Amino acid sequence: MAGLICKNRVLLSRSAPLFSQLSARAYGGGDAHHSGLPLPQTKVDIGQREVVGFGGNGEATYIDSVMAPFPAIRFKEDAGEIMALREKEKGDWKKLTKEEKKVLYRASFCQTLAEVEAPTGEWKSVLGLTLVGISIGVWGYLWMKAFVYGKVPDTITNEEKQKAQIDRMIAMRVNPIEGLTSNYDYEKGQWKK
Amino acid sequence: MRLAVKPAMVRPSMVSQVRLMSGGGESDAEFDSRYVAYFDRSDIDGWEIRKGMADLCAMDMVPEPVIVASALRACRRVNDYSLTTRILEIIKVKCADKEAEFWPYIMQELKPTLDELGILTPAELGYDQPELALPNPYEIH
Repeated sequence: MAGLICKNRVLLSRSAPLFSQLSARAYGGGDAHHSGLPLPQTKVDIGQREVVGFGGNGEATYIDSVMAPFPAIRFKEDAGEIMALREKEKGDWKKLTKEEKKVLYRASFCQTLAEVEAPTGEWKSVLGLTLVGISIGVWGYLWMKAFVYGKVPDTITNEEKQKAQIDRMIAMRVNPIEGLTSNYDYEKGQWKK
Repeated sequence: MRLAVKPAMVRPSMVSQVRLMSGGGESDAEFDSRYVAYFDRSDIDGWEIRKGMADLCAMDMVPEPVIVASALRACRRVNDYSLTTRILEIIKVKCADKEAEFWPYIMQELKPTLDELGILTPAELGYDQPELALPNPYEIH
């Protein structure tokens, strides 16, 4: 389809009439006819960088990814020092020094896969910000308690009233199997030891 | 140094018939020879090497060293050195949690090809550890 990069050798003349229709609609007719290489779906100016592959999805963009490790274009343009190295690359690779090999790699690729996969330490900011958020929540509760909530009712704070309520619960045999009155010895009239 | 245990295949050995889409089941040996033949074509170009390797690495398995060796020789024919380093890096990544078991074997099998073509491994280039840092473009303020 229009977005795919095809091998240079594939003849596109068969699809050119269909393609120029598509491009006429998509790009307002400006590029109805051109050299025969299909345009990428998104118009990205890649400069002079060489298109070398299909990439992740056929678009002529550079993306470093373990899922698609061979980007569609080289990372840097072939200029100056890199041109000289490209000539040397055509010869025996044993004659390339380690530094030259590294320069060639960085010309084609932005990051090594080790760099792509390297840990970012982002977990520290995630954890820190989460804890800050929790702290704000706790402070919020303390403020509410101090300034918003009313006093706790007398039936809870008054010792005698609490005792009377518990006595009533014992008389009613509340939760006699595993709960409150299961701990009360009714024969002796006291709490179980 | 000989490995005490040499795995028969770098793919899980429970898989004998894979790739249902290729109409009728292909044996591992046929799969390997198909890919070796693909990379051994004398008129292969860089695009095809990258596409073949990308498809190979998209599969749930680690490619056999013979396939990797023919891909490296194909890189030599198109005079693309950095592609060889990238291929070796992605093969190592593909080993995933079995890296300690598979990678030495793969390196052992590839050594003749690497020496013949003058290819340094990513570790020899210092690329097994991150070398340069790239700021996250979304975090640049």
